[in-house]
Amino acid sequence: MQSKHHSSHHSSITMSMRDKEKYIETFSFPYCEEATKYQTVAKIGQGTFGEVFKARDINNPKKFVAMKKVLMDNEKEGFPITALREIRILQLLKHDNVVNLIEICRTKASLHNRYRSTFYLVFDFCEHDLAGLLSNVNVKFSLGEIKKVMQQLLNGLYYIHFNKILHRDMKAANVLITKGGILKLADFGLARAFSTSKTGVPNRFTNRVVTLWYRPPELLLGDRNYGPPVDLWGAGCIMAEMWTRSPIMQGNSEQQQLTLISQLCGSINPTSWPGVEKLDMYNNMELPQEQKRKVKERLRPYMKDPWAVDLLDKLLTLDPSKRLDADGALNHDFFWTDPMPVDLSKMLATHTQSMFEFLAPARRATQVNRHHSMPRPSASSVQDGGYQDRVF
Amino acid sequence: MPGWYYDKKELRNTPSATAGLDFKTEMRYRKEGARFIIDTGMKMDLGYNTTATGVVYFHRFYMFHSFQQFPRYVTACCCLFLAGKVEETPKKCKDIIKIARTLLPDHKFTTFGCDPKEEVMTLERILLQTIKFDLQVEHPYQFLLKYAKCLKGDKAKLQKMVQMAWTFVNDSLCTTLCLQWEPEIIAVALMYLAGKLSKFEVMDWVGRSAKHLRWWDMFVEDVTMDLLEDICHQVLDLYSQPAAAKSPPESPPLSGEKAPISPKNAANGNERTQISPEQPPVPALPRLPPPADVPQFPYQTFTHAPPPLASYAPVSFPAPPVNTPPPAPPHIAGPPPNVFPPYVNHPPPFPAVGPPPPYFGNGLPPSQSQHPHRQYFQPS
Repeated sequence: MQSKHHSSHHSSITMSMRDKEKYIETFSFPYCEEATKYQTVAKIGQGTFGEVFKARDINNPKKFVAMKKVLMDNEKEGFPITALREIRILQLLKHDNVVNLIEICRTKASLHNRYRSTFYLVFDFCEHDLAGLLSNVNVKFSLGEIKKVMQQLLNGLYYIHFNKILHRDMKAANVLITKGGILKLADFGLARAFSTSKTGVPNRFTNRVVTLWYRPPELLLGDRNYGPPVDLWGAGCIMAEMWTRSPIMQGNSEQQQLTLISQLCGSINPTSWPGVEKLDMYNNMELPQEQKRKVKERLRPYMKDPWAVDLLDKLLTLDPSKRLDADGALNHDFFWTDPMPVDLSKMLATHTQSMFEFLAPARRATQVNRHHSMPRPSASSVQDGGYQDRVF
Repeated sequence: MPGWYYDKKELRNTPSATAGLDFKTEMRYRKEGARFIIDTGMKMDLGYNTTATGVVYFHRFYMFHSFQQFPRYVTACCCLFLAGKVEETPKKCKDIIKIARTLLPDHKFTTFGCDPKEEVMTLERILLQTIKFDLQVEHPYQFLLKYAKCLKGDKAKLQKMVQMAWTFVNDSLCTTLCLQWEPEIIAVALMYLAGKLSKFEVMDWVGRSAKHLRWWDMFVEDVTMDLLEDICHQVLDLYSQPAAAKSPPESPPLSGEKAPISPKNAANGNERTQISPEQPPVPALPRLPPPADVPQFPYQTFTHAPPPLASYAPVSFPAPPVNTPPPAPPHIAGPPPNVFPPYVNHPPPFPAVGPPPPYFGNGLPPSQSQHPHRQYFQPS
């Protein structure tokens, strides 16, 4: 009785191409809703693998979301592995200080798109990003507010590191802040899981991660067995930026970045950083010697608060094994001395305009590819017209 | 939130059934698809995790679509392709198809159409939507290892039991058990089965307390003996299915002889013979040949041969509760690097972010000639 369905009959029991197309077009996937439930409001950025839009939930008009399009046009291997990784990591991470993935939506497959749906990652909408806020001179952070920003940022890092995830793209533009003052780490497009190699086999991670200006010295020197300290270096860079208002080390090349780091943090050598000589690029890079460490000296004019300077000094430690971890940083006196961390919502309430780095007008003119970053597919399509006005 | 577990009635009420496919044939298609994923995965040196993930996607897919609509070997390739990426062991689509072509007779490969890669790629989007992007799947293997660490007793016997249980887990992929029960429960059941068949009775375990009647009470709750027996029989029924003579031609021949107990309906058995070492359901199991005589099977399955215990160097079984390396059970590829997988299931074995892996290459090198987007911070 099973012979009914033998392979020789396959052609008759499986659908014809047209039937299949029809089937795909009309099948209502119960677990993957259509993107038409949201209405696009504006383009607000460019993620690691696609554009980001602000959109309104049609069934709940007060609810806004950010929709990140999964770019698949140039993919030879189907759904991008980077997007799969980001989805998997975001499904795992549920924390106040990590951006919340609501769902993944699709467009209907039809003849129009060759029966290939487009997918969107749908997030809770956040009104600002830190780079956007810092680039606006009218936004002023008090010391207590800066503490709140850093505390939330480190809380987020503590949580993701506890869950064995490395962010690997810390920068002000990837730190979102809601109008309620809640900070969210975003863009896990470069994130990955890590395991501390107890087996003694070192990891072989790529070191071509993290936007150049926020890239720690171990990555610049070719380390492939790195860990959470790479994110803490970025946290240090962001912390300084809270006062300087612009990235503190803006190298044009990996070599120049290392030079800038040496000039600020002191010479890189086996004395300041035992074992650095074993890193792949140690002998290929020019490392200025006789440089004194000047982190405190050079940042004090901006930061004033001695605890702040001390914490920054400990985050911008050359040797990753000696760099403060998220837990250590959260226990630093900076967060436990007056003025204590202050809620951000009051200050943000005075600003009714959404501030995203992507939308900041001052930089638009000079900056097409805004950031040194990892190769971003179609980064050149960033400034297509129509969405350049600020939201609201 | 939708779950991925179904009761037996739902398993008989699948889209394939609705479209007229009888239950036995559907079960056979599921088994063949799973088997094909395992074989393809093995040929490509994919780990047991990747393979098992692919198989789970496959079973879930056919809870929403029918075998009549989507030919099983195309779906199987697609599931393995996606699982490879999810488990950080990506394989090129065309390479999977190449292996599929070698494993399948021509008349079956015709279901891939004139552009097989295109066929798989289009299906990938349907697959992702169908499984609601629930990419992370846990398998009984990790729980098997975890539980084994806690059991006390003769180390050699325990090791033999774990190896046998591992093989049962491999074979369980060919059933719909992953659609019925959590991996923890499957692990418990198949360890129970292996314990019975290898005559290893667990008398004591680490963490035992007065309220624990059985060792698994520590790990799972409300698991009845009836449930365990039912799970075991679903696996055992694989070995007692009609051999080549009775099975339809496209089904891979099974070497398993007919078992002494009469096979009940796999997914609906209620009256079951008690499993006991005296009445072994699989004749070969209790008389395992001496290690040296057994040929090596890279992927162990009792549907092909008795478990090749020979391939295992006697490793000292971890004396609980010390944190020693895990026992080395039979498995597809190498043993897991750690007893307990890290939070995200499997640590990705190769660096894949940033510069894309060679064959995913489509990115451009980062531009080095950019202007700073904010004014330079001029240190004083």
